[in-house]
Amino acid sequence: MNVREPQRDNVVSQSLAQIGACGLFLLTLLAAIPRSMRYVRETIRQLWFVGAMSLTIIMVCGLFVGMVLMLQLYHVLSIFGGTSASGMVVALSVYRELGPVVTALLFAGRAGTSITAEIGLMRATDQIDAMEMMAVDPIAYVATPRFLAGLIAMPLLCCVFCAMAVFGGHLVGVTWLGIDNGTFWSNMTAQVDVRTDIVNGVLFKSLAFGAVVSLIAVFQGFTTPPTSEGVAYATTRTVVASSIAILALDFVLTAFLM
Amino acid sequence: MSQPRSSYAVGTGLFIVLGFAALAYLATQTSSVANAHQSDSYIVDTQFTNIGALKERAPVKIAGVRVGQVQSITLTPGHEVADVKLSIDKRYDKIPQDSVATIFTSGLLGDQYVGIQYGSAKQVVAADGMLARTKSTEPLEEMLGKFFGAGGVVDNVGGSYTVKADFTNVGSLSTGAPVKMAGVVIGSVLSVHADPVKLNARVVLAIDKRYNTIPDDSAAAVFTSGLIGTQYVAIQPGGSPDMLKDGDEMILTQSAMQLEDLIGKFLVNGSSTDKKDAGDGKSATPAGKH
Repeated sequence: MNVREPQRDNVVSQSLAQIGACGLFLLTLLAAIPRSMRYVRETIRQLWFVGAMSLTIIMVCGLFVGMVLMLQLYHVLSIFGGTSASGMVVALSVYRELGPVVTALLFAGRAGTSITAEIGLMRATDQIDAMEMMAVDPIAYVATPRFLAGLIAMPLLCCVFCAMAVFGGHLVGVTWLGIDNGTFWSNMTAQVDVRTDIVNGVLFKSLAFGAVVSLIAVFQGFTTPPTSEGVAYATTRTVVASSIAILALDFVLTAFLM
Repeated sequence: MSQPRSSYAVGTGLFIVLGFAALAYLATQTSSVANAHQSDSYIVDTQFTNIGALKERAPVKIAGVRVGQVQSITLTPGHEVADVKLSIDKRYDKIPQDSVATIFTSGLLGDQYVGIQYGSAKQVVAADGMLARTKSTEPLEEMLGKFFGAGGVVDNVGGSYTVKADFTNVGSLSTGAPVKMAGVVIGSVLSVHADPVKLNARVVLAIDKRYNTIPDDSAAAVFTSGLIGTQYVAIQPGGSPDMLKDGDEMILTQSAMQLEDLIGKFLVNGSSTDKKDAGDGKSATPAGKH
């Protein structure tokens, strides 16, 4: 007991210190936004990398999520004779939950890891130190553009994801299972509300998730031990911490927005 | 060096355009934009004794067409009626003063909305005017209660006696289901099991000792409470001077109705007189009262 007590204390204080350092890092990032205005091109390059390059995986996943949701719902709702509502349920569940959450998880896997690995390797190969030597602020040049790019890219990716999911639901529901096309759309438009579902659901949630994922990715990259082992560890940590943060934050946001 | 940079810019621009196009698609094609932006409207006050599950922003319809929405629902302390403000599109400003505002439900399980049925008065309702004639919602439970006569408070079952009854079909009747007489719970189902010889279902009912004057020619029927409710055993008293005793068997039973059967009967017996005849025939034939 005596041996374990300080160790457990260590883990708790370590994770607390991580969270605290992450919060401070966020402040540093935000403070560096005016300075990073000089590097708009860098931000655009990062937006290209984390946003445009992630389009394929987001579109394919959105399509399949919509298709499988429709397939599941059709069979459950056919028990109650309510198959005509399945398009509406697909849209609502994708807009409110699945769209932002799945996009954020994919984004953490696709873009977050590469941000961490890239910055970690920059650190390991002393590029960050070299920048400081050349009087280039690494926060303003490396960290903030990546953070902003993630912040901008996530809502856009989420919109694409949701549109593809609705398309996938339409594909399976109307073309394959034979739900009436007019019923599909009219049920959906009757129940989906612009403010509560699209602004609060799709846009607000994905913006929050985008901030969290890119903050964690950049933070892990900057604080990694400058070794190959450290980079590998930091990359793993990005995925684990982002996933937990996304799901926990999703619960909190849903509780507040509903 | 500028070549790859501009290709980034073009790709990123395409990505942003695609993202906003998707957003525009979501907002306009898959959602109710009509609810979001409102044209000029005027307010009409109404009062309802029971608004049921009516919510703010619920549609207001004339002849089934949406003409506005519910602006606010308030209850003044001390009043027994709910004040409902309807916001109606300016284009529909010719609503007669004696029109009736009714709370309807779209479908069986759908949302509620306010329907306005035109009256015949020459005067029209002015802005901030009042529709005096309203019809409140009738809770589904009450309506179903009228149909089925079911529902009631569970009595504290003290000592009880058991009665057996055979059914050809008990539907989804399960142990513990209530036994009701005149809609009031008087006991519960003790056991349900199939008889291996008679090939029917034997149900043992535990009935409260207080109800020991049930005629022994009473009928037991398996009913369903509501449309999708649980099933229960209803006892319809007969006319015999002898009473049911512990361990007796009820001869007259009516099995669970399948919804399909019920609808079939409904469709065949169109008029109300036919229905009455069928009802009399049902109770008279097995009971043999006359």
